[in-house]
Amino acid sequence: MLLITRLYPYRDLLYVFIWREFGVRYRNSVLGILWSIIQPLSMMLLITFIFTYVINVKVGDYPKPVFFYSALLPWTFFLSSITSSMSSLSGSQALITKIYFPREVLPISGICVAFLDLLIASSFYIILLIYYNISLNLTLLWIIPLFILLFIYTLSLSLLFSSLNVYYKDVGLLTSFLMRLLFFGTPIIYSIDSLSLKLKLLLFLNPLTFIIENTRRVILEGRNIVLWQFVLAMVLVLILFHFSYKLFIKIERNFADVI
Amino acid sequence: MSSDPIIELSNICKKYKIKRKSSNTLREDIEKLFSKYKKEGLTGDEFWALKDINIKVNKGESVGIYGPNGSGKTTIIKLISSVTIPTKGDISVNGTIAPLISVGAGFHPELTGKENIYTNGTILGMSIKYLKEKENDIIDFSGLRREFLDLPIKNYSSGMNARLGFSVAVHSNADIFLLDEILAVGDEAFKKKCFKKIDSLKKKNKTFLIVTHNLENLKKITDRIIYMEKGKILDKAPIPDN
Repeated sequence: MLLITRLYPYRDLLYVFIWREFGVRYRNSVLGILWSIIQPLSMMLLITFIFTYVINVKVGDYPKPVFFYSALLPWTFFLSSITSSMSSLSGSQALITKIYFPREVLPISGICVAFLDLLIASSFYIILLIYYNISLNLTLLWIIPLFILLFIYTLSLSLLFSSLNVYYKDVGLLTSFLMRLLFFGTPIIYSIDSLSLKLKLLLFLNPLTFIIENTRRVILEGRNIVLWQFVLAMVLVLILFHFSYKLFIKIERNFADVI
Repeated sequence: MSSDPIIELSNICKKYKIKRKSSNTLREDIEKLFSKYKKEGLTGDEFWALKDINIKVNKGESVGIYGPNGSGKTTIIKLISSVTIPTKGDISVNGTIAPLISVGAGFHPELTGKENIYTNGTILGMSIKYLKEKENDIIDFSGLRREFLDLPIKNYSSGMNARLGFSVAVHSNADIFLLDEILAVGDEAFKKKCFKKIDSLKKKNKTFLIVTHNLENLKKITDRIIYMEKGKILDKAPIPDN
């Protein structure tokens, strides 16, 4: 794959960038890596509070904290990846105008840091599952391909948005606004189970819907993902990746001149 | 010395815009996308930063580029290190490059001196393994006291910063060194050390391309000098104004 042939000679640079971002962030903080858990955890507590005390409605058949946290894990990763990649290129002007390296190293290292956060935050997920007595079985292994799908999807959008943001600052403004809309357009605080087929299909246009619904399915419900659905989602996401990466490489050559 | 040039620029032209991207509307860009042929000439706000540049540098040679501000020296360095691409012409480079365009690229203020050796070194294309081997040499060359290397570099003076950055850079094992105005770092003693290091690298058949305003220094360390003005190469040294 093109990504690997381009990045392999620069693997040490990528590694150092990830280490730099991850290491520096928690260097002078007291709570350290606990911060990776605090963000999805506090969101989960807030949403649970709203849907228990403010509007008491039933959302799915599972305890609300687990139900929301299952969705907030991938969502937090997605949100912080996109947010960090928006400024990854335009914020590294000094480097980009002076030294050549494959520019995708910058957004990718941001995504990898967010992915490390996701893994740390997942450890708290396990505690929640045990606390609420959710019986786990082997279907939870599906989480690995699901996270890979999530990673590729997030990567595609990051490459697309970060490179376009170098040319048009509107992209940055648009995405921050889009992210807020998408929070409600993704089944985080609800489930699509009770919706009509038409609405379901509409929501499935957003790959996050597929990822979040299936995260709940394999962990909470202990059911397998329908294989053809997963393959279809993967193929579509790979096509998206292919085109956004092509575009990225095409306009990367001019970054130094326009940034 | 082999006769094959290690760096060759043929008929290089580079066009820049005076006004930056703000003048580009989305509509114009889409129009440009569909108009297949690039315009050869200049539109209102464009200018040639380089025009018909031909340069050949052989392996082991040390070449200086001298000219006033805005003559296109840095653009040449950027083209060779593929930071930017030429509007017209061909560039061939047969070797690895250490682009020393700014001292301490990628230095992070919160990281310690030792850690920044790795961030800066990998950006310049060195591997982590190689840097581990060279770590002691780099620290020795920089002349910084060992206990300072465990401090975050936000506490360093600019001179210390520059010493460390330069020290990392000259320990690269690239074939070609591009130096842009970075000979102005450090005090006299450190400068001498740098010139000595450059000399020893030249003996190892490394190629140098050096850009600076300081003609005296340039004459000392280069085999020949290319004089430039307004994006063109002059045939001979310009006569000083005064």
